[in-house]
Amino acid sequence: MKTILFYIRKLFAVVKNEVLVLPSRVAVIFFFLFILLLPFFTDDVYILRIFTLASIFAIFAASWDLLSGFTGQMNFGHALFFGVGAYGAALLNLHYQIPPWGSIPLGALVGVAAGLIIGIPSLRLKGTYLALTTLAFPIILLGLVFTFPGFTGGELGISGIERLAPTRVQEYYIISVLMLGLCTIMWAITDSNTGIIFHAIREDEIAVRASGVNTTRYKLLAFCLSGFFAGIAGGLYAHFMRIAGPSTLEVSLSFQVVIWAIFGGAATIYGPIGAVFFLYPLVEFMHVLKDYRILMFAFVVLLVLLFMPDGLFRWLREKVEEECPRCKVRNIATRKTCRVCTAPLD
Amino acid sequence: MKMFKRLIFVPVLVVALTISIWANAFAADEIKIGVIGPMKFVQGISHWNGAVMAADEINARGGVKVGNKMMKIKLIQADSNEFLSITDATNAMERLITKDKVHFVVGGFRTEAVMAMQDIAMHQKVIFIGCGAAHDELCNRVAKYYDQYKYFFRGTPFNSTNLVRAAFIHVGTVAEVIKKELDIKGPIKVAFVAEKAQWADAMVPAVQATLPKMGMELVGVWRPSPVATDVTAELAGIQRTGAHLIFTVFSSSVGIPFARQAGELKVPAIQVGINVEASKDDFWKATRGQGNYVVISATYARDVECNELTKPFVEGYLKRFGEMPTYTAGTYESIKMSLVDTIEMIGTLDPDKIVEALENRVYKTPPSTIMYVKDNLGRHTHDIRFGPGYATGLAVQWQDGKLVGVWPNGWKPAPGVEVTYKGMKPIKLPPWMYQAYKKK
Repeated sequence: MKTILFYIRKLFAVVKNEVLVLPSRVAVIFFFLFILLLPFFTDDVYILRIFTLASIFAIFAASWDLLSGFTGQMNFGHALFFGVGAYGAALLNLHYQIPPWGSIPLGALVGVAAGLIIGIPSLRLKGTYLALTTLAFPIILLGLVFTFPGFTGGELGISGIERLAPTRVQEYYIISVLMLGLCTIMWAITDSNTGIIFHAIREDEIAVRASGVNTTRYKLLAFCLSGFFAGIAGGLYAHFMRIAGPSTLEVSLSFQVVIWAIFGGAATIYGPIGAVFFLYPLVEFMHVLKDYRILMFAFVVLLVLLFMPDGLFRWLREKVEEECPRCKVRNIATRKTCRVCTAPLD
Repeated sequence: MKMFKRLIFVPVLVVALTISIWANAFAADEIKIGVIGPMKFVQGISHWNGAVMAADEINARGGVKVGNKMMKIKLIQADSNEFLSITDATNAMERLITKDKVHFVVGGFRTEAVMAMQDIAMHQKVIFIGCGAAHDELCNRVAKYYDQYKYFFRGTPFNSTNLVRAAFIHVGTVAEVIKKELDIKGPIKVAFVAEKAQWADAMVPAVQATLPKMGMELVGVWRPSPVATDVTAELAGIQRTGAHLIFTVFSSSVGIPFARQAGELKVPAIQVGINVEASKDDFWKATRGQGNYVVISATYARDVECNELTKPFVEGYLKRFGEMPTYTAGTYESIKMSLVDTIEMIGTLDPDKIVEALENRVYKTPPSTIMYVKDNLGRHTHDIRFGPGYATGLAVQWQDGKLVGVWPNGWKPAPGVEVTYKGMKPIKLPPWMYQAYKKK
């Protein structure tokens, strides 16, 4: 009993001293609460559909950030992992009757294999060359999809896939809870020693190699992890839409994910997630504007990129929080001194 | 002050409630039909135009008689954006059904998107009439999983298998004209030219297998880029083979330079097949008149009457929108003839009863007579019947700046059966073909 009380007290202390003191952390708590409580406020299947899809795309966007934002391996063909995960899950479900809880992780493992297949030949490439090479892979796979229509369904894709759950609310909870969990794991990875090495590879790969770190292994790890998470997103998408078709491999999807990540703030994980939850419903609910919808979308994106080049959510965070110049701990912008080392803040 | 607020509040509340009740009562007398399609593209615009025409005609005569009640048609447009995003298409379908509460949906174009939208409509038990996607699988699903997919019907066009069949019939018809006019003794030589696109890939083995069975010789297959601007190399190759007929399969811009350069080079062969660009009114100007004699598959042609409904529809459409209707304007007959006539016949909006009634109806529409067929196992497919007396489509030819109907014109699909639509003209061969072959 004492132990339980100790942990409850510790939890309260952490919440009081580490969470409630920073607006960004409070925002994350509100985001979790919003996602978990949304079905209590609305049972509108259309609204739940939009937020379910936003959750799927949030995993996808965060997985791009893990690879390209953190490790600097510029991937312009990220739809490959998504499409491979979608097709993998769909084929396993349709031909081997593997239920979604099995087909989605197995589809994600196919995504890992795709990560290795891209990662190995791309190890010697950097920047623009890597970006162009990765751009080619989903196009190659799209060609294969059309070459073997008997297996892949050709232009129709694979349909008749099992639903994730019988009701929309259940589907929403499965996908949104998975999104919260997987994005937390991705954030934890970037906050770990592995994440620091990813970051360092992006900044100066030669220096990292000179420090005795096998950068090849870490770059491949980044490709595989990113492929795994994007593959999960693809599998969830296939089971939610009940179709896995060529559109999951299209170039437009690869660019969409880059727009989300850059808009929200690359190398943050939270940035791409926030961007998806801001832009995806915004564009969808702006359907009343009809022809002006895409124009408005482009206008919002351009405005953000022009005035907030590091991304909307990073900009917002910089506005409400400040980093202590001495101990590097973050503080709310209204404070005059650091909450830990009491050093004066600018 | 409190008293004043109450005095204001009560009448405002009463007025609001009255308006709300009146609006709901008014809405209850409406049949809401969702029109879904890529609204920024010509296919979606035609979906909308056809639907608007149908709704206006029905509402002008007082609405739809449902039992003892007259109900007006209210159209709700949904941009599926399906060329760019399947997700957007499914969101639009879900919005139509769950937010706008439509009773029926018509439209759809890209097969992958239509299949995904079909799942949503079927789940909600909303009748969805497809007016754009031709793939057979859409109706195969109805046959295989009838209870789940019975709310889907094909509106237009007829399925891909029959589209290909129609193209072969057109090729065969023109081949007969060539034989007769030019006195060709041996087999007609055919060059097959399909744009380099995945959808056209399946046509290559079909052509290789079918043409010899039709007594024709395939002299070669050419696959130019869909956006090629110069096809003189292909045309020179075709000319060297001595082809009499060029079987074209173009959906992209290559259809224009191909027709123009073939005319400029006076290649002694007639073009027959699919050429989407050639179905547009500005094709003549785009090819500077060199697209003369090109024969293509189509749904409508000026002055051609498949039945008594064709002329009023085509003329009405031309007058209102200033252009010829395309096949996605089939939302017109899907609303007016398929849905509204059935509703008035049975006097209910119950989707199950409408499905049952539609399955047993045979009715005329501007381009054809519709009858829903069963498959070999006797299962309902909700696919439309192709053949004489039913949906056949047209072959049209550019003749001196006009697109005229040339098929079916004395078409004999079976002994004792002959089909000719009103307004048909004979097929004309390019004069340079006469010059080239009469010399020999």
